[in-house]
Amino acid sequence: MIAAVQFRNFKALRSTGVKLAPFNLVLGPNGSGKTSLIQALLRLRALAGLAPANEPPATDGGPRIDFAFTAPYQDIGVSLGCHADELVCNVLSVSRPPGPEGEALWEKLRAKLRTIRAYLFDHYAMAVPAKPADSAELASNGGNLAAVLAVWREKHPDAYAALQAEFLRLMPEFGALEVRAGAGGTVELGTRLKANGHNFITADSLSQGTLYQIALLVLAFTPAPPAVVCIEEADRGMHPRSLREVRDTLYRLSYPQDLGMQRAPVQVITTTHSPYLLDQFREQPQEVILASKQGQAATFERLSDRTDILELMKEAHLGDLWYSGILGGIPGET
Amino acid sequence: MKLAILSESPADEAALQVLVGYVLGRPFTTVQASLRARGWPSVEQVLPPIVRHLHFNTDADGLVVVVDSDDSVVHTSEHEAPGYHHALCRICRLRSVFRRATKNLPPARGRERVLRAVGLCVPAIEAWLLCGHDTSVTEQAWLDGQISGRQPYTRRELKWRVYGTERPSLQHETQRALQEVSRHHGDVRRLENDFPNGFGALARDLRAWQLPGRAG
Repeated sequence: MIAAVQFRNFKALRSTGVKLAPFNLVLGPNGSGKTSLIQALLRLRALAGLAPANEPPATDGGPRIDFAFTAPYQDIGVSLGCHADELVCNVLSVSRPPGPEGEALWEKLRAKLRTIRAYLFDHYAMAVPAKPADSAELASNGGNLAAVLAVWREKHPDAYAALQAEFLRLMPEFGALEVRAGAGGTVELGTRLKANGHNFITADSLSQGTLYQIALLVLAFTPAPPAVVCIEEADRGMHPRSLREVRDTLYRLSYPQDLGMQRAPVQVITTTHSPYLLDQFREQPQEVILASKQGQAATFERLSDRTDILELMKEAHLGDLWYSGILGGIPGET
Repeated sequence: MKLAILSESPADEAALQVLVGYVLGRPFTTVQASLRARGWPSVEQVLPPIVRHLHFNTDADGLVVVVDSDDSVVHTSEHEAPGYHHALCRICRLRSVFRRATKNLPPARGRERVLRAVGLCVPAIEAWLLCGHDTSVTEQAWLDGQISGRQPYTRRELKWRVYGTERPSLQHETQRALQEVSRHHGDVRRLENDFPNGFGALARDLRAWQLPGRAG
């Protein structure tokens, strides 16, 4: 949905841009703008809820972020700007086709932008019993995981069953994934081992990776997915051999047609520091974005823009190439 | 017979389990769950310690190693000449690594050494999976393409033909791999005919394991 983002003076992103694909894996050293890209999208979401400014952002050298979109929104441009002495962009201006049709198209895009979601999972928060809620939407840290699954069980039994089935396929040591009433009116998440099916293992006894896996499945199987999902470190807590399944889970969002699903694709942006996860994208270098930092300025480069990438991959793994430094996107670049 | 399989993915391993069984023509057990390499050139790096581990720590009779050729030199009958070694051929290189890895190992667990069977998917395992389905996909077609500079198909196209997508899930890949290899119903002559050096080399190695006097 978002075709490209152009940055000027937004944190370390002084003058750079990035084209976005349906799926995007962003790698780079700390401070190279990976999280800033996600923050820009969250800012876009927040400001899309307000009335646009009448004037375009000031051209006084302050931060500015320009967004372009894929069809059918390719004629709409959105800019975020702020005054030079402010740290956060707080003005949104829209360039769109004139007339009621242009207005309607913008309103449609705006509704989609309002659904942008970003996640940084916290397994401690996920393990705590949650207060029941009506919302079936996962919190940004996954903290309401049990409550979401309790809602799914009641209101979206098909999605709940599909998630359970996939969880049990991915983690065959378990015989069940359940939510049940906890203390103080809460709901709690737990599993049962195949080998000892009578013992309910509460979420606080599950591994970090198991909880993250469940959270990723919630995103992948959600009945009403957002237009854009950003995930910080989607591979966190996962065994390197499980990363192909992590990739498959995320692809379920971006390429539903490959699985015979009819719903609209979800654009995915995920960050990682894992060469093993990068290895999973050997066949799809156009889905990889390398963030590099030279001095105080960060830039983005799509891996497929390197003319020699296919040649380089004949000799070594993508993850090893990245680690070696010849692709960029490593600490200490000057 | 007890053996280990070193492959690049769980889907490859599932297909290889079936094909190895077809070639051996008898049941076997695997002594080491899911040996995995990250692809070439990791296979070369991890092979010596794997061989050593299997030799001393398990009762494996043999190790099956299968890799994709990608764009590398395809193993041919000329490479089979005594003393011949092509430095850019992955089968030649893996055999060489195997020789070096086993050369100075003392006998252990009642055998001299762990036997080896090396195969090469030209250019990828999807070509083997299409065998009998798509007559345009053969080792010779790929070799001709290397000579002419115009490959008849790409790895990406082969994936499309087998999986119907460029991004198959591992589950789908495994299901399709098992469906396709099972079509051969125990008869691998077509595979040996269409892939005489990549699959043929693997089959010949495996059959040589059944020499008299060897544990079976």
